[in-house]
Amino acid sequence: MTLKEELLISVEERPEMAALVNDALGALQGCGSLREIEDARVRLLGKKGTVTSVFKGLAVLPPEEKAVVGRIGNLLRQVIEEEVDALRRNIEHRETERRLAAQTLDVTLPGRRRGIGHRHLLAQVIEEATRIFVGLGYEVAEGPEVELDYYNFEALNQPPYHPARSLNDTLYVRRPDPICDDPADIMLRTHTSPVQVRVMEKRRPPLYVISPGRAYRRDEIDATHSAVFHQVEGLAVDRDITLGHLKGTLEVFAHKLFGRERDVRFRPHYFPFTEPSAEMDVSCFKCLGAGCSLCKGAGWLEILGCGMVDPNVFGYVGYDPEEFTGFAFGMGVERIAMLKYGIDDMRVFYEDDARFLRQF
Amino acid sequence: MKVSLEWLREYVDFDVEPGELARMLTMSGTAVDTMFTFGAGVSGVLVCEVLEVGPHPDADTLRLAVVSDGTGTRPIVCGAPNLAEGMKAALALPGATLPTVSEGKLEAVTIRGVRSEGMMVSGLELGISEDHSGILELDAAASVGMDLHEVLPLDDVIFELEVTPNRPDCMSMLGVAREVAALTGGTLRRPALDVDETGGPVFELAKVFIEDPSGCPRYTARVVTEVGIGPSPGWMARRLLASGLRPINNVVDITNYVLMETGQPLHAFDLDLLGERTIVVRRARPGEKMTTLDGAERPLGQSALVIADAREPVALAGIMGGEDSEVTEHSRNILIESAFFDPTGIMLTSRKLGLRTEASARFERGCDPEGTAVAALRAAVLMAGLAGGKVAEGDIDVYPREFTPVTVEVRPERVNRVLGTEIPASEMAQILGRLEIRVEEGETLKATPPSFRPDLEREIDMIEEIARIYGYDRIPAGLPAGAGADAGLSRRQLLASRIADSLVSLGLSEVYLYSFMRRADLDLLRVGDGDRMRRVVALLNPLAETGEVMRTTLLPGLLRAAAGNFNRGNRDLALFETGRVFISRSVEETPEEIDSLGVLLYGALGPPSWSEPARPADFFDLKGSLESLAGAIGVELGFEPAEITFLAPGRSSRVLLAGDDVGVAGQLHPAVSTAFGLEGDVFVAELEIAPLLDAAPEVRQFIPVGRYPNVKVDIAVVVDEDLAADQVERRILSSGGVLLRSVRLFDLYTGPQVPPGRKSLAYALEFGSAEGTLTDEQAHAEMGRIVAALEEQFGAVLRGGGNRGG
Repeated sequence: MTLKEELLISVEERPEMAALVNDALGALQGCGSLREIEDARVRLLGKKGTVTSVFKGLAVLPPEEKAVVGRIGNLLRQVIEEEVDALRRNIEHRETERRLAAQTLDVTLPGRRRGIGHRHLLAQVIEEATRIFVGLGYEVAEGPEVELDYYNFEALNQPPYHPARSLNDTLYVRRPDPICDDPADIMLRTHTSPVQVRVMEKRRPPLYVISPGRAYRRDEIDATHSAVFHQVEGLAVDRDITLGHLKGTLEVFAHKLFGRERDVRFRPHYFPFTEPSAEMDVSCFKCLGAGCSLCKGAGWLEILGCGMVDPNVFGYVGYDPEEFTGFAFGMGVERIAMLKYGIDDMRVFYEDDARFLRQF
Repeated sequence: MKVSLEWLREYVDFDVEPGELARMLTMSGTAVDTMFTFGAGVSGVLVCEVLEVGPHPDADTLRLAVVSDGTGTRPIVCGAPNLAEGMKAALALPGATLPTVSEGKLEAVTIRGVRSEGMMVSGLELGISEDHSGILELDAAASVGMDLHEVLPLDDVIFELEVTPNRPDCMSMLGVAREVAALTGGTLRRPALDVDETGGPVFELAKVFIEDPSGCPRYTARVVTEVGIGPSPGWMARRLLASGLRPINNVVDITNYVLMETGQPLHAFDLDLLGERTIVVRRARPGEKMTTLDGAERPLGQSALVIADAREPVALAGIMGGEDSEVTEHSRNILIESAFFDPTGIMLTSRKLGLRTEASARFERGCDPEGTAVAALRAAVLMAGLAGGKVAEGDIDVYPREFTPVTVEVRPERVNRVLGTEIPASEMAQILGRLEIRVEEGETLKATPPSFRPDLEREIDMIEEIARIYGYDRIPAGLPAGAGADAGLSRRQLLASRIADSLVSLGLSEVYLYSFMRRADLDLLRVGDGDRMRRVVALLNPLAETGEVMRTTLLPGLLRAAAGNFNRGNRDLALFETGRVFISRSVEETPEEIDSLGVLLYGALGPPSWSEPARPADFFDLKGSLESLAGAIGVELGFEPAEITFLAPGRSSRVLLAGDDVGVAGQLHPAVSTAFGLEGDVFVAELEIAPLLDAAPEVRQFIPVGRYPNVKVDIAVVVDEDLAADQVERRILSSGGVLLRSVRLFDLYTGPQVPPGRKSLAYALEFGSAEGTLTDEQAHAEMGRIVAALEEQFGAVLRGGGNRGG
């Protein structure tokens, strides 16, 4: 039972108070503002209020009536207080709504952005590749960018007088004889593979290592050539590593980097530091293998070179090729970024236009 | 290497479509880069004969020809320099289509007042060669009026092969045919070599001496007499064209044809022009020179191997012939050279002279030492048949260093262990056999490769052969069972990427810059002579556009990137690079490589908003970025005023870590900004990364945060204007006692409210205790000690202060 219901039942015991109760409740009904409510409250419950006067008159009543009238008076006061509170809340709520409605924001205005910067796209590709190989149990090794011929060519089984070892193809720092190759020649590394030799020189298998980094070639800069480029190379040396493991590892990598729906294939190829060697293709991003201008009609895009580490390379670092086998692979970061993001000019990576940087 | 399928079918039968054959070759290691139909898109072109050539009445560069098209004559205006009366040429009639001219575009036109009823076309216009120096000259025997498709191999499919450097044998039609036979199960057909040797004994006609057997292990010569020099027959010219070679005359074409067929480079000498009809293979003598076929007079270094006659060099061995002994239309007697040269020697000479040819490319990779006599005979047979020559009896075959084949032991279980396969030994033997590798089966396979496979010397070489013919796609894929004990990123690698990530979260974008710079860049930065930045690593063969030395600082690259952006309208920049700089130790050593961080702020900060104006970046934004990134890895940087040549005086700072220099930060000197093409204020910093990583704490110790709120009190003190702010802060910290939790400068004021020469510094202090909430009295007592210390040390005057509540 609510207080109001109790009040209405109780007042039947004193019908002469019915008018007072009805008037009091009626006075509140008509209130439309906080002010009117307050005025009504004072009229009813103030020192001279009509309800207050009921309590003042109690003294003259006989005891049995005093109890009944006092109870009704109390109930009435409580009901009035309750009603006043409810009316106030109601009006306050309406006023808040009205005020808010008057101050409506255009929520379609642009937000106040905090300027977050951007990692360079090449750094993002390197990080993504690194994350995948770290997940496969690889560690990350780094090495010098200015290298000795020994690490860059010789110990990687590069035959002497190979065109790569010439002043036309490689940027040299020191080369006492311009024609003849010398393991002490100093050059800008042409790939990150020398890191693999350095790691093998220092450690024993098992080795699962990738070496992301910068490499150099004496290429005039144009849409498809850059004197500076980046590679992610990898090496796994252990007992019983097979060409099948190479395929499996790189298939996982390609599916993670380019998506499950890509097909992957391995073609025999030639590299001095691996044998058997292969190139890995993935089905074309643009035509999904049907043949288009991006893949020159082949349906496949060449992604990386790889192979089983040549026993001669193990010879340079003192590993017994009968005990250990291994595979190595290397990919061009720029090429992967270009294929994956549809970039057709390598120069954008090094011009660092803010409008390019902001896109990724 | 271009391979015509029409020509290939002479040596091997195959019944697969060209597309499938291309796939099979690609998947066995000889990639088909492109496949195209020779002369695709050519129609309405026929053979014409040029009857008359006269001047154009109104143009010096054009001539007027009258040609016969088989049914009548037509006037043709033509600008080709090789236009001549009597020549046969390709005539595109009005309405013809060419790969370079779309349908309906070619019509009879009037050129400078003269009507031209068609166009004589070049090899380039037909899409069959790169030659656009003149119109395509056709075989004199071609019948006038015949469609060009019947004269040229226009519907032949051509493969452009990518031959890997280990496979010199595949730089020939027979070599490719051998691969096709191995892949398809077909049989290789070799050309017939029957000839009547009617030219007299060869020993009476010529002599050959080898003075340098290591440079030339074998020299085979054949002589053909009484040849008639003339054009080659159509079928040979067609095949040469399809291979990308220009037909010249029958004798020269035959040497090129046999080169393409067998891979053995040949040279034809005019025997009558060889002094004493003698060939001497020797090293060049001091001061010797010769003029090669390309017309260049070349001084010969002493290591160069030459072919000489009794007097002087007549050819650069294995690279290019000489002009003086060249076969011409007057030649009658020919000496065919078919030799095997040491690959390294050819490579060295070719590299020294900067001269690479079809011949040198093959000799460098290693030709077939056993193939010289066959190739010489093949050429002689063709010269007898096509040039009417008489082949001398026998050959002169000087072979001082005979080829000895190696036999390689192949262990079948090793093959399977490397590949991860279960191929039976018998299948391995069968694969090797298809490649003409002789195999003796036993416990192991004893494999003897043919002489044309110099790449097969070891067991692993044989494993590769087995794998590529078996098919890489049939090898089951799997993952290695093991993994590295050091898997994952090292702590330093994680911290380094944290540095980059925190800069990105601070609103800076990463740039990648070239690692080169110019020495002059250091002058622009006004770097002093003794500075470490002057210890540059110079490149011997730099690229002109990128700079001749390795960078010793990231700044020139950053400033150029900023200037490039500025010029392209990107005026607000916050950039960083983490890259290496290179400091020379000595010319004999590799340099020191230092991982560095470069930061540049320019223009306004952050993205502009519609509600607030963008604020220009200043020194404290730069400093704050460095402080924040240091905080991200748990280290603290110090900043100290310093004079740095490229920074503005009074606005430059050394950056310190635990008292040691780790870099610089400041506002670029306006003169330097201007030198790099930037207007306005530029803020730059460059730090070494390694010391930051070294100093980063391995584990940060937890400091209890306390359960009671701190009491916050602000104080403002007036001090001398030139007093460094961090001295005040350090004094507050040292005098504040254990209850002082933090100090933060929130206002700096100079102006009418403080005396001239003085400034007001306002600090927000927080006091707290783990024991309970501090009372105002306790906090004020602490504050009083601080104020007293500042008064005592700096003559500071308390300007105001108050409780900001709990």
